[in-house]
Amino acid sequence: MSGLIREIRFLASDRAALLWLGIALLVACVSVILGLREIAAQRAVLNDLIEIDYAEREVLDTLYQDWGDVAYYTFHLTWDSPSDFAFAALGQRDTSPWKHQIRALALEGQIYETDAENPDFALIGRFDFAFAANLLAPLLLILLLHDLRSAERTAGRYELLSATAASQGSPWFARAALRTGALALCLIAPLWAGGLPGGAGASTLIPASLVVILHIAFWWGVCVLVDRYGWTSPVNLTALVGAWLALAVIVPAAIKVSIEAAVPLPDGGEILLTQREAVNDAWDLPKAATMEPFIERHPAWADYTEVSQPFEWKWYYAFQQVGDQTVEPLSQAYRDGRIRRDRLAGSLAWLSPPALAERAMQALADTNVAATLTYEQRVRAFHKALREYYYPRLFRGEPVSTVSIEQRPQFQGKES
Amino acid sequence: MISMLAAQSLSVRRSGQEVLKDVSFSIEQGEIHALLGGNGAGKSTTLLTFLGFLKPASGSVHVQGRDVNGNLGAARQAIAYLPEAATLYGHLSAYENLHYFLSLAGTETGREALDDALDRVALQPDARNMRMETYSKGMRQKVAIALASLRDTPILLLDEPTSGLDPVAIDEFNRLARDLAEAGRTILLVTHDVYGACHVADRIDLLQNGVLVGAFDRPEGMDRIDTEAVHAAFAQHAGA
Repeated sequence: MSGLIREIRFLASDRAALLWLGIALLVACVSVILGLREIAAQRAVLNDLIEIDYAEREVLDTLYQDWGDVAYYTFHLTWDSPSDFAFAALGQRDTSPWKHQIRALALEGQIYETDAENPDFALIGRFDFAFAANLLAPLLLILLLHDLRSAERTAGRYELLSATAASQGSPWFARAALRTGALALCLIAPLWAGGLPGGAGASTLIPASLVVILHIAFWWGVCVLVDRYGWTSPVNLTALVGAWLALAVIVPAAIKVSIEAAVPLPDGGEILLTQREAVNDAWDLPKAATMEPFIERHPAWADYTEVSQPFEWKWYYAFQQVGDQTVEPLSQAYRDGRIRRDRLAGSLAWLSPPALAERAMQALADTNVAATLTYEQRVRAFHKALREYYYPRLFRGEPVSTVSIEQRPQFQGKES
Repeated sequence: MISMLAAQSLSVRRSGQEVLKDVSFSIEQGEIHALLGGNGAGKSTTLLTFLGFLKPASGSVHVQGRDVNGNLGAARQAIAYLPEAATLYGHLSAYENLHYFLSLAGTETGREALDDALDRVALQPDARNMRMETYSKGMRQKVAIALASLRDTPILLLDEPTSGLDPVAIDEFNRLARDLAEAGRTILLVTHDVYGACHVADRIDLLQNGVLVGAFDRPEGMDRIDTEAVHAAFAQHAGA
């Protein structure tokens, strides 16, 4: 205990160490504040959109007398509410859509409308807590630990310290543990200070803190390993920064390139284009070319496939459905590929502790690839429910009624 | 009687060079023993071997009768070490440095004892709370000597303890060393200062190129070793 107090006093008098710890605290605070602001902004956008969405539908529902018009002009907001811990690891919320306005037309194009490339293995993302803790904190730890012994050797104190401490145990462990612990505290304290008022519970904050501690402990181990060689401070620093560069940047980049080469994906744009072509082509095809594949999927409407007019809504929505059916293999391959890439990334992330810690935090924050895919599936399920609601009304030619509209499915946001 | 420090046929290699060759000596309790030699004679190497930082290529070193090899912790526990040009922490004051190192050694010492030790090395009271980076070399050395004297150990290994000290401070160091020896503490100091060694030591071993080439004892009833004889031997071997 007295050794710890001694080293706390010593640390308190070390201006360089205090500077690095101060920077760590500042970086963690800024990252938490930025994350909280981003999530607050996303929530505000969702609240506004949800309000507008309901108001808009209330107006539209009184305007049209035909179910085809109702289905065509009525948009439905779908959204993926951020979790209370999402501020710490924005993850896929930074790169993938977390809200879609959809209607009962062909869906896949609507999902991937904003999709450009969908990075599955985010390397360096937004400046959030996960970035600060997983990429910047190791560098600060390196600055705190790289010269613990070597600076003493250079100053001619190493033998004096080692010989003096013989009866009390090594001062090096206490010094390194204190610096490492102080750094972890500088990171974790802002996380809790920002997380608890924001609603993140201990059940999330404790494992997140554990991730930070384990990750920092790993880098402590790397520092100890390099220190064993007895190099000078500049050589230690070079070796450690090299290790950081390799593990935090080069390895993840190599993993990303390897995964992309190993698991090729159709991109979202390809799905969008294929689906739109299928829908547009349908205008010029015989009606039967649309209705036959539609009935294969929906045999319940086999008795209602006759299209006598040049344009009928049931035919229109049938070819929207067939457009989705056309891209179904592409869309499924895309989803499967993303899952496969994500699984591979999860396995290979063990080669890069910063990437592994990042993934762990995204999983805790529900901002990982799995969360994005789950949201997409919720959108598909809702869209399916919409179709199942509209099809009987479209195919049977039922009149629009307020009672019937009130039965229309509503998208339910998940509990945050 | 067990010797406090003993080297037996000690040879040490550093960077492939044999820097100590078949060196043997022993030091009894309360004795001030000086290893005198020029630059690169192997003096500091001898101290580092007693502290276990260097391993003997052959032979052995013993602290309180126990081979250092295999009893390193006990050996270091028995020794207060003052390295050559000891650099204490510049960002700490003399008091803070003494507190830190004594705490590291497990010695709890009050301010009065610190002041007493600093008085004995004649460090000005108004400098004791100043950061040591503002100190002169001699002032830093005084604090380091005070630190060694405050350690509650039976043995002191002092590497060039008077380096950077003015003549008055050297006299004060000599008095302090004598007092410590009279209190039963054993001192092995290494130096290239013939005059200083003759004034403080009970015995001088002359070390040249890693080999002991002469030994001089303080004659009974005399307050110092014959400086001229030691100087002559030193000059003879330095020129050899």
